[in-house]
Amino acid sequence: MPSTDYQGSSSPLTNLGRSFLPLRRDQVHSMESPIGGSPSNEAELESFQRQVADRFHDLASVPSDELLSLPWVRKLIDAFLCCQEEFRVILFNNRTPVKKPPMDRLIADYNERAVKALDVCNAIRDGIEQIRQWQKLIEIVLCALGGDNNSYQRSLGEGQFRRARKALVDLAIAMLDEKDSGQALAHRNRSFGRHNNSSSHSKDHHHRSLGHFRSLSWSVSRSWSAARQLQAIGNNLAVPRGNEVLATNGLAMPVYTMGSVLLFVMWALVAAIPCQDRGLQVHFNFPRQFPWAAPIISLHERILEESKKRDRKNACGLLREIYQMEKCSRLLGELADSVQFPLNEEKEKEVKQRVNELKQVSDAMKEDLEPLEKQVREVFHRIVRNRTEGLDSL
Amino acid sequence: MADNGEEKLLAVARHIAKTLGQNDTMADDILQIFSNFDGRFSREKLSENMVDGNNPRGCAVLDRALHSLDRQISQYVALDHPIWAHSADSSAFLDAIDELIRTIRDWSPMAAEKSVGACLARADDLMQQAMFRVEDEFRSLMDRGADSFELGRNNHESTGNLSFDSDDDNEENEEGLLHNGAALDHQIPVAQPVTDYDIVIDALPSGTINDLHEIAKRMVAAGFGKECSHVYSTCRREFLEESISRLGLQKLSIDEVQKMPWQELEDEIERWIKAANVSLRILFPSERRLCDRIFFGFSSAADLSFMEVCRGSTIQLLNFADAIAIGSRSPERLFKVLDVFETMRDLMPEFDSVFSDQYCLVLRNEAITIWKRLGEAIRGIFMELENLIRRDPAKAAVPGGGLHPITRYVMNYLRAACRSRQTLEQVFDESNVVVPSLDDRRVSSSSMSVQMAWIMELLESNLEMKSRIYRDSALCSIFMMNNGRYIVQKVKDSELESLLGDDWIRKHNAKVRQYCTNYQRSSWNKILGTLKLDNSSLASNAIAKSMKEKIKSFNSQFDDVCKTQSSWVVFDEQLREEMRISVSRLLLPAYRNFIGRLQCIPEIGRNVDRLIRYGPEDIEARINELFEGGNGSSGGRK
Repeated sequence: MPSTDYQGSSSPLTNLGRSFLPLRRDQVHSMESPIGGSPSNEAELESFQRQVADRFHDLASVPSDELLSLPWVRKLIDAFLCCQEEFRVILFNNRTPVKKPPMDRLIADYNERAVKALDVCNAIRDGIEQIRQWQKLIEIVLCALGGDNNSYQRSLGEGQFRRARKALVDLAIAMLDEKDSGQALAHRNRSFGRHNNSSSHSKDHHHRSLGHFRSLSWSVSRSWSAARQLQAIGNNLAVPRGNEVLATNGLAMPVYTMGSVLLFVMWALVAAIPCQDRGLQVHFNFPRQFPWAAPIISLHERILEESKKRDRKNACGLLREIYQMEKCSRLLGELADSVQFPLNEEKEKEVKQRVNELKQVSDAMKEDLEPLEKQVREVFHRIVRNRTEGLDSL
Repeated sequence: MADNGEEKLLAVARHIAKTLGQNDTMADDILQIFSNFDGRFSREKLSENMVDGNNPRGCAVLDRALHSLDRQISQYVALDHPIWAHSADSSAFLDAIDELIRTIRDWSPMAAEKSVGACLARADDLMQQAMFRVEDEFRSLMDRGADSFELGRNNHESTGNLSFDSDDDNEENEEGLLHNGAALDHQIPVAQPVTDYDIVIDALPSGTINDLHEIAKRMVAAGFGKECSHVYSTCRREFLEESISRLGLQKLSIDEVQKMPWQELEDEIERWIKAANVSLRILFPSERRLCDRIFFGFSSAADLSFMEVCRGSTIQLLNFADAIAIGSRSPERLFKVLDVFETMRDLMPEFDSVFSDQYCLVLRNEAITIWKRLGEAIRGIFMELENLIRRDPAKAAVPGGGLHPITRYVMNYLRAACRSRQTLEQVFDESNVVVPSLDDRRVSSSSMSVQMAWIMELLESNLEMKSRIYRDSALCSIFMMNNGRYIVQKVKDSELESLLGDDWIRKHNAKVRQYCTNYQRSSWNKILGTLKLDNSSLASNAIAKSMKEKIKSFNSQFDDVCKTQSSWVVFDEQLREEMRISVSRLLLPAYRNFIGRLQCIPEIGRNVDRLIRYGPEDIEARINELFEGGNGSSGGRK
């Protein structure tokens, strides 16, 4: 394994960041590295590893009920942007050695990964738009049952429930993951008793509506796959060999680190947000001696665990707010299916409570969705800018 | 109905009294005021049922009204054919809905009264049924609209706009701007590619647009605006996406664009340019107009719906342009990237006008970002060109000192690039302001002339490096002269002339002349030296011997030079001629002079004809064979 080339015996966490640097320094002199090392350079590289580690330790310290929440995902993206910025500074400060082999190849490799991540950013943006469409359906539910459109105290009647139920069915179908949408669609349609007014008109409507739920299409072709894209980002992402570390005066390390951060962040985004052909089967084998490896591996495991939970298995995104959205709307749908008219006070109270819950989820989503979209776009722009700067300096 | 109206009035008055009056006395006072105001508010009528607050009589009116509305509305809701198939049906249905909306609005303030509340629940129920039906009608009108438009298009107002030049060779344009496509079951009307963008299409006949507007009005009034907007956006989005895919544009990821062979990508760019123009100039403005007409009076709903309709297609268009901007910087791509840049630039006014509302502003800003990025990409391509020139290795010498392929490539490339001079000037000027440079050189190369001069400089120093591969310094000069001459010629008959300026051309013409001089010097000075006459007063015997030696030396040297240099190349005919003349002028007088003397030396006598191998005409003829690039391996490959 290449990782053993430079690694001493497994040291305690606190020493991990340093483990390869002193070793390298000793060897640099004896082997006469083509690029002269300086103490400030070493300090810079070391501090980069440490800062990446600090950020991910912070992200990993999240309690389980906030993992994959919108604020957490936004924090994750922030962390990525910060890492990327520090990485950029390192490349800038070392712009001469960066142009020489094997650094030029390593940077080109990273840039290739980063360009592949751009497609993930675009897919995530589509996913955010998808969530917005669900929000619209929820707004209809809230409009029907929330009664905030008129200030008069009115009891809820069958009409409002029918309206809400229709929107809830649309929502449930829209939220199905693409993979199982085919059969489940028909099934859910039936179970919700959607087309019970049997006129010839409704047959036509039925046919149309199936198309409508899926009509918000992705901006990429049908064959595009987030899972495959993630594989491509992680393709050949290998710990630099000892001689590479030596030949690059340690610069190979931040490149590897940044590649790993990129892969993980993109993976986590795909896990959280709906996108075409999500798949989380990417293998992470980050060597533990990197100070950031432990928190990232722990987050990876936790997210993977989350995806295996029974009620999340078929989710179209692991985002906590999506889960709540799905749960609240399902409960409300079940309640709406069971109510008898006229509504008794107790039921009405229950409905109001469920509607309130849904409203809270929806409000929280609304608040963070736009900033999230902006951030994802920012990731896109930064990746492009860094790459452009890299190309310009060649 | 008059009775009904009066009941409502009374109910409202009672309600006001009850709400405002904090106690019975106050309520009584308020009622008194009402009764003084108008005969209809007699105390007798007003006080009726005041006490129990159940208002059976008022409620009975409401009940009766609802009953009648229920009968009308249910009858339409149950219809198994489209209500909008008959205008009498549709207007009666809309009237009933209006009445229902009015009734609910009027009675809502009294919803707290139990019996009124119960009636209103029924009204809501009825409203919901009416709205579901109306939503379906809205959807099928949107779908069917295109069909009826196809049949009745002659009556259609926009037909007048669909004029194309009669010499338009694409007949399909005239026939089917709106085209229902082959897939009849799909029912999505589609726009065909056009060449004249100055048109607006109406995807729906104006009768249908009016119907849709009438429905939208009711749905918004009844609080079902969101549903209406949802149905609308979904239908139109399908139309747009289908239209764009009919324009031949695929959905491609950045990765796919990067991996696509350049030739395929060139075709894709061509299609993109068409699609972007049709979308921004025809489809989007038409959608905007349609949306504004259907949601007339509800600007927020119109803006939101419009954004929903266009967002996906716009993102698709922008993503492709973005992928091109991010793609390879290979110099061959310049011209197509320029096309994409220019398309974006020229469409900016359209982006501004069509995406000016609050919801679409994001799209417009994205378009600007991507447009700027295309500018960066173009600058990047020039940087790549610089790198290629700088790093082009001197592999094998061009035979005969002819034109090097890099000279030909760079000059023709720059000439072609200069055809887009205005665009490039825009691009290079912008780099001054926008791009924070990591490299000092870039700051100075901001304007296009500086950029061009810089590339010429790189080319020249690369050529100088390449010239060192020749062992013969005369050939080295020929190589530099040839390439220099070519450069100047290409500059002079293109935009480069004005970009580089007269000074530059003068300077480079002088350089070419200098190379000529260098050539003559290193090639002919030595030979010329052999023809130098000795004026010293040597013995005639010695003179004869020296002259004999000299002519022999001349003969062999001249032979050698001619043999070698006939395979050299001067690609430019005029220059070749000039050089021959100048060599002749240099050589012939000295030669004539020399052989004249030689013939006068008595010691040589009869041997003179053997010694003088060439007459002056022979010399000239041999000189005229120089630089022909003989041996078939000329460097002046065209």
